Amino acid sequence: MSATSSFRDGLLAAVPTLRAFAVSLAKNADRADDLVQETLVKAWDKQDSFQPGTNLKAWLFTILRNEFYSQMRKRRREVEDADGMITARLSVNPSQESSSDLTDFRRALELLPEDQREAIILIGASGFSYEEAAEICGCAVGTIKSRVSRARSRLQQILAIEGEGDFGPDPVTAQVTNSANAA
Amino acid sequence: MTRMYKDMGRDTGEEKRMTYQKLEEGRNGGKDNSSHDPLGPNSEIGRKLRQYYDELVSDSIPDRFSQLLSQLEHNEEPHSGAKED
Repeated sequence: MSATSSFRDGLLAAVPTLRAFAVSLAKNADRADDLVQETLVKAWDKQDSFQPGTNLKAWLFTILRNEFYSQMRKRRREVEDADGMITARLSVNPSQESSSDLTDFRRALELLPEDQREAIILIGASGFSYEEAAEICGCAVGTIKSRVSRARSRLQQILAIEGEGDFGPDPVTAQVTNSANAA
Repeated sequence: MTRMYKDMGRDTGEEKRMTYQKLEEGRNGGKDNSSHDPLGPNSEIGRKLRQYYDELVSDSIPDRFSQLLSQLEHNEEPHSGAKED
């Protein structure tokens, strides 16, 4: 009774941060929730393979990440073009429209390749060490370090030049920029 | 081949040496920056990253997750009873 309940409590407590990681990966709140759901089911099925006392959060992140990449590979095979367009349209997260500064940041983050995006999120936001992040991503610590540093310079680059209009903004940004110029 | 650059510099004039120096400077410059925490509290990217993430974490959680876990827990119960034999 108690072991199962504490495992359950552990999973429930991890949901907010799992969701945040899932949104960062999937760029879409609905897909993120599906990922979290799938992660919880998988974690439950595999709970015997979790060693109590070890890092539950890292274990769950690993499951979620594997699920994300296997779904992505499946989707790429199925509907490559159509899916890209739908994802782009759905990628606005309503809770984040409050701050335009943060909207720019989110957009910049979404332009990063997946491997760089996940690395900088794990290290800079989720609070994992380089060693833990390497374990979650199944790669060397040095690989995580270089991905984080590439992600960081890319973000700096994007955020610095975005206002100048030579970055090829999306239609919404272009419209805003154009009307601002016209005024 | 790269070992030869010093000698080659003497023969082929300033140009090559200057190019090499520039590359070195660039590399050292990068290293100096990363010696402290590049995503720490003093980094703007680091701050925005946490702001972005914290906002996501503080989103309200749909009920479906706790419902799902209760459901999973209920399905599990016959298992623990089996041990009583």
